[in-house]
Amino acid sequence: MATVTIKHITKAFGDNVVLKEFNETFHDGEFITLLGPSGCGKTTMLRIIAGFEKPTSGELYIDDQLASGGKTFVPPEKRSVGMVFQSYAVWPHMNVYDNVAYPLTIKKTPKAEIKKQVERVLEIVHLSQYAERFPNQLSGGQQQRVALARALVAAPKLLLLDEPLSNLDAKLRESMRFEIKEIQKELGITVVYVTHDQTEAMAMSDRIFLINRGVVQQCDTPENIYNQPANQFVADFLGKVEFFKGVAKNGKITFPALGGQHIKYDGPKTGAVEVAIRPENISFTSVKKGDLTGVLEAQYYLGDVDDCRVRVGDSVVRVIAPGAAFKKLKDGQEVGLTVDDYLVFDDDGMLEKLLEIQT
Amino acid sequence: MNSAAEMQRGKQRDYTPLISKVIIALLLILGLVMIGAGVMGIRDFDASGYDAEDAYGAIRDLSAVVDSDWESKLQPLLAEQTPETKAKLDAAAYAMLAELWESQREGSTADLDACLASFAESERAEKTYQLLYAGYAVNGPRVTTAIRKELALVPAEERADFRRAVLACITDETAPLPASATKAAGELEGAKRAAMLMQVYFVSYDDSGVGIDTELANSFKKAVRNKGAQLDAYAKVASGEIGWLTATVFGNSRTIILIGILLVVDMLLLIFLMSKEKTWRIDFKWILILAIVDFLLVFQLFPLVYLAAKAFIVDGAFSLETIKRLYTYEMNLKALLNTLIASGATMVLGTLLAFPLAWLVGRTNLYGKKFFRSLFVLTYMVPPYVGAMAWLRLLNPNVGTINQVIRMIFNMGDIPGPLNIYSLGGLIWVLTTFYYPYAFITISRAMEKMDPSLEEASRISGASPLKTLFTVTLPMMTPSLIAGALLVFVCAASCYGIPSIIAAPGKVHTVTTRIIDYMGLGDQGMNDATGLAVFLMVIAIIVLYVSDFVVAKKQYITVSGKSTRPNIVDLRRWRIPMTILVSLFAIIVIGLPFATILITSFKVDVGKGLWEAGNFTVNQWTQIFGRTETLSSLKNSLVFGAVTASIGIVVACVMSYLLQRTRIRGRKIPDFLITLGSGTPSVVIALGLIMTMKGNYGVNIYNTAYIMIVAYLIKYLMMGMRTVVSAMSQIHVSLEECSQVSGASWLRTMFKITGPLIFPSIAAGWFLIFIPSFYELSMTTLLYSNSTKTIGFQLYEYWTYTSQPQSCAMACGILGVVILLNFVLNRLTKGEFSI
Repeated sequence: MATVTIKHITKAFGDNVVLKEFNETFHDGEFITLLGPSGCGKTTMLRIIAGFEKPTSGELYIDDQLASGGKTFVPPEKRSVGMVFQSYAVWPHMNVYDNVAYPLTIKKTPKAEIKKQVERVLEIVHLSQYAERFPNQLSGGQQQRVALARALVAAPKLLLLDEPLSNLDAKLRESMRFEIKEIQKELGITVVYVTHDQTEAMAMSDRIFLINRGVVQQCDTPENIYNQPANQFVADFLGKVEFFKGVAKNGKITFPALGGQHIKYDGPKTGAVEVAIRPENISFTSVKKGDLTGVLEAQYYLGDVDDCRVRVGDSVVRVIAPGAAFKKLKDGQEVGLTVDDYLVFDDDGMLEKLLEIQT
Repeated sequence: MNSAAEMQRGKQRDYTPLISKVIIALLLILGLVMIGAGVMGIRDFDASGYDAEDAYGAIRDLSAVVDSDWESKLQPLLAEQTPETKAKLDAAAYAMLAELWESQREGSTADLDACLASFAESERAEKTYQLLYAGYAVNGPRVTTAIRKELALVPAEERADFRRAVLACITDETAPLPASATKAAGELEGAKRAAMLMQVYFVSYDDSGVGIDTELANSFKKAVRNKGAQLDAYAKVASGEIGWLTATVFGNSRTIILIGILLVVDMLLLIFLMSKEKTWRIDFKWILILAIVDFLLVFQLFPLVYLAAKAFIVDGAFSLETIKRLYTYEMNLKALLNTLIASGATMVLGTLLAFPLAWLVGRTNLYGKKFFRSLFVLTYMVPPYVGAMAWLRLLNPNVGTINQVIRMIFNMGDIPGPLNIYSLGGLIWVLTTFYYPYAFITISRAMEKMDPSLEEASRISGASPLKTLFTVTLPMMTPSLIAGALLVFVCAASCYGIPSIIAAPGKVHTVTTRIIDYMGLGDQGMNDATGLAVFLMVIAIIVLYVSDFVVAKKQYITVSGKSTRPNIVDLRRWRIPMTILVSLFAIIVIGLPFATILITSFKVDVGKGLWEAGNFTVNQWTQIFGRTETLSSLKNSLVFGAVTASIGIVVACVMSYLLQRTRIRGRKIPDFLITLGSGTPSVVIALGLIMTMKGNYGVNIYNTAYIMIVAYLIKYLMMGMRTVVSAMSQIHVSLEECSQVSGASWLRTMFKITGPLIFPSIAAGWFLIFIPSFYELSMTTLLYSNSTKTIGFQLYEYWTYTSQPQSCAMACGILGVVILLNFVLNRLTKGEFSI
């Protein structure tokens, strides 16, 4: 329905550069997620697309029309996009119907048409019977859906969502997640979605833009981002991961911190490397067969899985094993570990630098 | 098993509820007893012809003096007499007493005998002398002042001989009499001579020449209204039958009744709260609530109820007579109309000014908006009468600067006008310039608190900024807009300073000026003032009701958790014109008046220009710093303000703790009363206090500093309270809980965590109470006494009676203090607050 083209967009508040050289094209009907830790610049990017912020430099095109850039600036009301705010921004002095009808009223749509459209979107968000209610009579989830209905009612080509689920409780958040995805599929609109919740991003997106400190770290499908992270930050941000310093040499990587034990490696890198291992990619085996050996220190039963700590050399390695393994092994027992999969990064110190700002 | 559990329960039995019940019951009974005793005291005395309050005290005091004099002086002298002389003396004393008795109540020697018979036989002689002593102290033969002086000159060592000689002469006419006593006896003979000598004898106890203290005798006379009652009182004096407790209880009947009523009310309230809460534990917080409620009941609610009642009750029966008479009098009717028109117009104009200003300053990229904001808010801290003075100088039809300029420009010649400040229009103008900040502050606060995404949502829905302003911002602001407007209305309606300076000289009266006029007209005037005050009260109550209960329900300003940066609207090509417009407004409304005040303070003749020959002087300035009168009123203002603010802030802190940190039942009661107090027009508060705090209802603080402090507290307490409450509401309770979990006691938590966090607000609250108390005028005008004049009142007096330049200099001084305090506050709170 709509494409968004971002060309060299940089945004600074005074000396504080919050977005650096953003370049990307969001395609028709794509569900794009801007993901990153708080303060990474993802909301700023969204507000630039909406027209609430002007980029310091660079250009923004919506459907090949220049929206911001140079001397051109199309104000938000002229961009024909829908937006859902984190605080929902449902107007307390209007009832649900009036809230939802507002964008059409502004467009001076005939009353009958407004009624039809409002009923249609209220149907979509399952709020038909609440049309007469005022926002203070609605729950958080319902208000959120009013905001969504309002954003959808004028049939925008582009829908922007700014952490719309962050104020909801876990259960509601999960069901809303799928509802939004369903609506997007049904209407086929382009969605730009901002969140700091990686699960949300993974579940909903066609593509994820992982941003940190105003710089896009990686932009790809959820699978690729998870399985082939571009750098240590990406690997660390999505899912559980542990990093070990090692030395790659002669087809193996040796870990000084793991008592000098090693794993097989046939990749191209040599010398000091950083190895990222996801705990679920390690499995228990016998001491003889294991790539690594250690002593089981603790295990926590989590139902579906068993979260274990194994002391290897001077370090503790986390292993997530199938729940069935629980208590088959005894604490203090010597175990072997097989590393089924891992990622190797250059030891360029990038991670430390990036992790610093997360806290 | 079962019985063991029961035993366990039995052992742990909690006695607190029982103790509470007992305490409450005892206090309730005590309260009832106090009321009963007080009422009995008043009734007892009324029936017997005593004046309720003072009689027992006077009797007790007189009795003590008579008793001690008897012991130390009279008895030793009598003891040295021979039995025959003693018998003669006793007889003479009895005769004198009988005579006195007879003179007061005819045919009452029988009473006297009965009275004496009531004493033990051995005591009768002694009691005779004591009765006589008491009687002569009050009603005996009069010893002239000249002789008293002479008697006082008798040397101490000769005094005993002197008195022996006088005593001897009472029974023996031939005995030699000292010279001064001879003079006193003069040409009196027989019984009269003896009686006079007896009086001389009583008077000549010591070198004071007074005998029994005249003041004591006078207060006794005053307390015992009729002569028959006096005889009973002598008997009481002689018998010493009134103990300290009785005298205290009956001597302070009204105060005792008041305390009794409060006790009963408190206990009933406590029982009510407890039954609602379903607990029988006395919570300390309830004691705090009751203490605050008691204060407000006595000093705020009671006077208000009294005023309302007084207006409708004539000679003990309900009547609309007073109201009818007052409100059909044309001048009052006109004043009423003027008040409604002026406050209504001020409300509309003020709000119309405040909303765009608040929006321009708070939500657009206007140049210098921070500066303008502080400027407009600062006006709020300026005494309104200062503005009135300035505008008088600017718009006086003859010599007003603006009028002169207009006449010059349009070459209109030497006629008065064209603008005349002494008119309803003038009044509205000045009221508007001084009360629009109230609306401005209310509206800009709400605007700043508004979640900006509400407006963004409108923009993204396709509405232009202007459309958003009208469809989202304005409707969302409506409750605050109404609240602000009503605040302006009630302030304008109850303002005294401005109309008294501007409108009254032009014969444009308002309700407040009429009230003060009536006040000067004696008792009837008081009543009439009360009747008019009821009108202001009704207005205030309606406004309070609307803004607190109706508007508050529609209050949907959502304070979002995130620190929100309000949306700034780009004015673009309107940016410069708007800035110019706002600057012009600031110059006219703020710059011009203050410059006028400052300039006038350096003038000799206010009618002439500052630079005309000989018209420039710094005398006013040196005088205000040199005159003790001014300095002492300044000191008064500072002290009253500081005391009010300090008490007020303690109450404010207690109240915000109760409101924000506890769910204790009944915490809303003092909150409601405090709100009511601040909404009540100053003049009404002062009037109520005058009528009820003269001692006729158990409290006498009339003409003292206390009555002013109480009045200021009632009026301004809420400003401090709201500040502290809102600060406390912003500190999440978990911060305190965390401290307590860390092992700190509640008190320590308050001092280490909560205190420092809300300190800026506490300081701000203190100043918010201090500043208006410091320059207060409306209430002070009614409540001051010669020793409690304040700087605001002094300034007003100077303006009206003495010298306008002088009072302008004082106004500059007051402004200086306010600005200085504002600066101190800013520093103290590290820039977080300035007013």
